[in-house]
Amino acid sequence: MYQILLITDGCSNVGVNPVVAAATAQSEGIVVNVVGVVDQGELGDYGKAEIEEIARAGGGMSRLVNTRQLSQTVQMMTRKTVVQTIQLAVQKELKQVLGTDGKIEELPPDKRGEVVRVIDELGETTGLRVALVIDASASMKPKLHAVEEAIRDLMLSLQARQGQSELAVFHFPGTSYGDDCTLDLDWTTDLKGVTSIFPKLQMRGTTPTGPALMRVIDFCREDRYGRRSKDETDGMMGDYVV
Amino acid sequence: MTTSFELGLRRGVIVTGKWNRGRYRVERMLGEGANGKVFLVQRERDKGWYALKVGANAVDLQSEINVLKSLAGQNRSSGTGSFLIDVDDLCAMDGSEHPFYVMRYVRGATLSEYLERSGPEWFPLVGYNLLLKLSGLHDAGWAFGDLKVENVLVADYGRVELVDYGGVTAFGKSVRQFTEIYDRGYWNAGSRTADAGYDLFSFAVMCIQLHEKRKLAQMAASLLPQNRSPEELMKLVQHNNALRPLSGWLGGALTGRFANGREAAAAWQRLMHRPGGNRRAGAVPGWMKAMFMASAALLAVTIYWYVRS
Ligand SMILES: Nc1ncnc2c1ncn2[C@@H]1O[C@H](COP(=O)(O)OP(=O)(O)OP(=O)(O)O)[C@@H](O)[C@H]1O
Repeated sequence: MYQILLITDGCSNVGVNPVVAAATAQSEGIVVNVVGVVDQGELGDYGKAEIEEIARAGGGMSRLVNTRQLSQTVQMMTRKTVVQTIQLAVQKELKQVLGTDGKIEELPPDKRGEVVRVIDELGETTGLRVALVIDASASMKPKLHAVEEAIRDLMLSLQARQGQSELAVFHFPGTSYGDDCTLDLDWTTDLKGVTSIFPKLQMRGTTPTGPALMRVIDFCREDRYGRRSKDETDGMMGDYVV
Repeated sequence: MTTSFELGLRRGVIVTGKWNRGRYRVERMLGEGANGKVFLVQRERDKGWYALKVGANAVDLQSEINVLKSLAGQNRSSGTGSFLIDVDDLCAMDGSEHPFYVMRYVRGATLSEYLERSGPEWFPLVGYNLLLKLSGLHDAGWAFGDLKVENVLVADYGRVELVDYGGVTAFGKSVRQFTEIYDRGYWNAGSRTADAGYDLFSFAVMCIQLHEKRKLAQMAASLLPQNRSPEELMKLVQHNNALRPLSGWLGGALTGRFANGREAAAAWQRLMHRPGGNRRAGAVPGWMKAMFMASAALLAVTIYWYVRS
């Protein structure tokens, strides 16, 4: 299972519409969650609306938080999204079997127990990869230490899962001129050796949220494809596909 | 991440279960949290008082019910009464349906309220009872997970009940729900994988929270994330007269030295009965002091009359 988590504090202002990018992710089975980090409420109505739209298009959720709530929010969102993704997959199965909407709520309470037990079990054991996409525009600079802390905290939660869990980190705009985003950290299960996730950032004026998301979707797609063809030889297919 | 929803469950409203047709009259709201709302209700059939929890999310509530059910299975063999009474759906005023379950009503105060009202001398006993409760869960292979002051209810004579089973997690899995300041991972003291030590760590933080609430909050806010550690927490312990006698035990819980809940409970018990243990720290009960003073006065009067006559 793949998730993209976008952390931002403002509006996109260049390139492809991020809502379109998020919808693209969703159609590939990748959920997009968005956290808006607002310490002094600097995000205007337009920014708020964009954040909600991106999440809605990406099949995920959005939250506006201050830096102090960031770790807890990122951790909770990731966890809830895992459960929801699996719930949707289970509902699809139920729909075929039962011919109803497949909603858990439609089952009598004594049948719900077994279904939820399966959801919980899969939620704990499914392979999970979370790609974090960090807005590194100038206004985000004072918040980046909180972002880094939230990433480390998320790693800790992922490490406690039984299923293989990894994360990757990108920031945008990219470090070299004209780059939409830069990969800071490739898929990893451990951040122990990593002293700084965002070394020597170059702050630039633009916020290419959409193009950055597109890059990350590509990254996930290639990764999934690569793994799948490798898994076919390993005989471990489907671990990352729900 | 609170999901609030309007139910219109006011006093006197009758809730009827869709499937089992159980009928409950709402008395008042007992509390509210991330996963739902809890109401005090009276069952029509036997006029008994129960707590009814309405969930905001069917899957989350059902996970909790699953835990309560498997605990009930384990309790049946040990003879303790069931906590879970009924599971059903209710229809709100606006026609929307919501899942709920009914559990035993715990007539008690939260831990901090109880200690404020009954006095700090009850703290060692309540702590011991809580450790026994946790050990029961641990014996069955579960960690409580979200242990915190708000989730411990205390009834008469320091009897303890845990509420909110939303964080209960099978050993070896990732803790489902936790509160940062009580979390072992947050203090760089270990993983978020459920085990007995996870709860014991939270228990130790809870002891600090009860005695040094303000300083604990200040410490959490001011320390750099990488500097949070059991050693820092122990500084708070050393600065508090009530906690200092427990420092050996607390240090053990914060650094994962106890193999399981039973071992931790036994160590706590030894502390309670240690001559001059917690008692020396000025914990002589007030009534005992008063009686002693009364009898001393009586003795003085007796001697006075004896000498006079
Ligand atoms: N069985 C009970 N008897 C009496 N009071 C109860 C009972 N269960 C819950 N309560 C009260 O209701 C409050 C909320 O319940 P609970 O903690 O289960 O809700 P929650 O939504 O899971 O909360 P949280 O946000 O902590 O997860 C409790 O703090 C407690 O005061």
